[in-house]
Amino acid sequence: MSERINIKGMWWKGLGVVLFLYVIVGGMMIPLKPGILSIQPGNAVNGDTVKLEVTGYNTHFLSGGDLRTWLKLDSSHFIQAFQIQATGETMCKATFAIPSSMASYTGVQPLTLILDNEVDGYSIQPNAIFLAINDSLSTGEGWDSSIDEPLHAMGQIRFPYRNILHETIRNTFFHIALWFAMFLLLLAGLWHAVMYLRQGLPQQDIQSAAYHKVAILFGLLGIATGSVWAKFTWNTFWTTDVKLNMTAVAMLIYLAYLILRNTIADEDKRARVSAGYSIFAFIALIPLVFVIPRLTDSLHPGNGGNPALGGEDLDNTLRLFFYPSILALTLLGNWMATLLIRYEKIREKMFYHS
Amino acid sequence: MQFTNIQSILQKELAIEFRQKFAVGGVFLFSATVVFLLYKTFNNISPREWVLLLWIIMLFTGLQAVVKSFLQEKQETWMYYYSLFDATSLLVAKLLYNLLFLIIVFLFTVLCLAIFSGFPVRDITLFSVGSGMGLLGLSVIFTFVSVMAASERASSILMSVLSLPLTLPVLLLLIKVTTVSTGLLADTAVYDDVVLLAGINSILLGSTFLLFPYVWRS
Repeated sequence: MSERINIKGMWWKGLGVVLFLYVIVGGMMIPLKPGILSIQPGNAVNGDTVKLEVTGYNTHFLSGGDLRTWLKLDSSHFIQAFQIQATGETMCKATFAIPSSMASYTGVQPLTLILDNEVDGYSIQPNAIFLAINDSLSTGEGWDSSIDEPLHAMGQIRFPYRNILHETIRNTFFHIALWFAMFLLLLAGLWHAVMYLRQGLPQQDIQSAAYHKVAILFGLLGIATGSVWAKFTWNTFWTTDVKLNMTAVAMLIYLAYLILRNTIADEDKRARVSAGYSIFAFIALIPLVFVIPRLTDSLHPGNGGNPALGGEDLDNTLRLFFYPSILALTLLGNWMATLLIRYEKIREKMFYHS
Repeated sequence: MQFTNIQSILQKELAIEFRQKFAVGGVFLFSATVVFLLYKTFNNISPREWVLLLWIIMLFTGLQAVVKSFLQEKQETWMYYYSLFDATSLLVAKLLYNLLFLIIVFLFTVLCLAIFSGFPVRDITLFSVGSGMGLLGLSVIFTFVSVMAASERASSILMSVLSLPLTLPVLLLLIKVTTVSTGLLADTAVYDDVVLLAGINSILLGSTFLLFPYVWRS
């Protein structure tokens, strides 16, 4: 027994582990950009002088240098706070004198709050307060037509701060990357199934089954991570969202594949039938996961008119971890599949020798 | 693929069906009993429930009907077929037979439901086109899965485990289309769903034709 271990052929395993560690460490350690957590009170009337209590997140109101804030009605109507007082690193009080003349606006208008200092750069909170407009003059007096001083930009690498998502934006590296990796592994399983039907080598059946098993594991993990994420953002573990339910159906189809493999005793027949079923299942999966959710409304990005990946939700700092995470998970999945394949081969060898 | 072959298999299936009346009778009795049971428990069935019940009854009766057609064949019969026909003609014949059978069961179930609890469909064209598409999809899935499940010990369990998740996309669209046809939902884009259903059907049909010759040889 002097089988040499081929170290050179294992570089991809190391790469997978290193990349995944990089994603876990980097993805968890890098802080979010400063943002605005809440603003009190939430409404005002034109002509008022309002004192807003702003709670920030990851902000440096005290130590961040010159703090300035504006309320924005539209791209040519701004007012700057005439008084601003920081009471803590994440707390400040800004006082605005809202003009009584409201240009041509009537009814209730949302105002956007813009906050800026040297360290944190600027942060923006849309719909910060709602302004009820009582009989206003249409002159537009008292508003600035633009912000005259330049805003600061954040220099360091930070993840974007998004309302609702907050810190859970890091789940992008796990939840979404798991789905991508699962899909790639399913493709590998499909490829081996097709090759089995064409060539009929028993090892191709073992490979196909192994890739499918790992893909199913990744799919279940994808559902689990998504469910936890949904609890935080949509306040429920499971919603009526199409994409969720269609993936659940897809998972059921693939779990049926596992049952199929366990039911058929004859190896040759099992291989042929499960290869046929897996190809059929993959074809049935395409309309489920890729067509139907795009036609109906969905809470997920990229469906029902929401922006997909590559919109403002996936900025360059996230990409720095998102793409490596897909690669890492695919490599790790491939590693798991090769372990399963080796296990099956050894089991078969022992079975035939005894 | 030869039409005479297809014809002779179809004739043989029909002949067996008429000789073994208990099997067909069982399927129809099942559907009628379920309809009656539901009528007695619900008393008054709203259009939405009507559609839902129709398709759930169809799902299970269809499953029973198709399971019977492939599973009744013995190992020796398969060998005999294998020496006589190519795979495609056998598939086409079985598919046509199953579709025909499902359509008859469907009409029977609709009739029963109509007698007991009214006929809420407003848009007959949409209803029949949608149901036709759906039945085609169901028969393709059932036929393909029953080939795989055939000649296994626990075949009827395997059959339902494999086919029920696969039918879900077809069934979900189908229920939506037929609900629209009862006038409950106003949906101007409902014909998009019908087209989607047709698309799914053609994908399933195509893959069945591709895969059947491989899966069948056992």
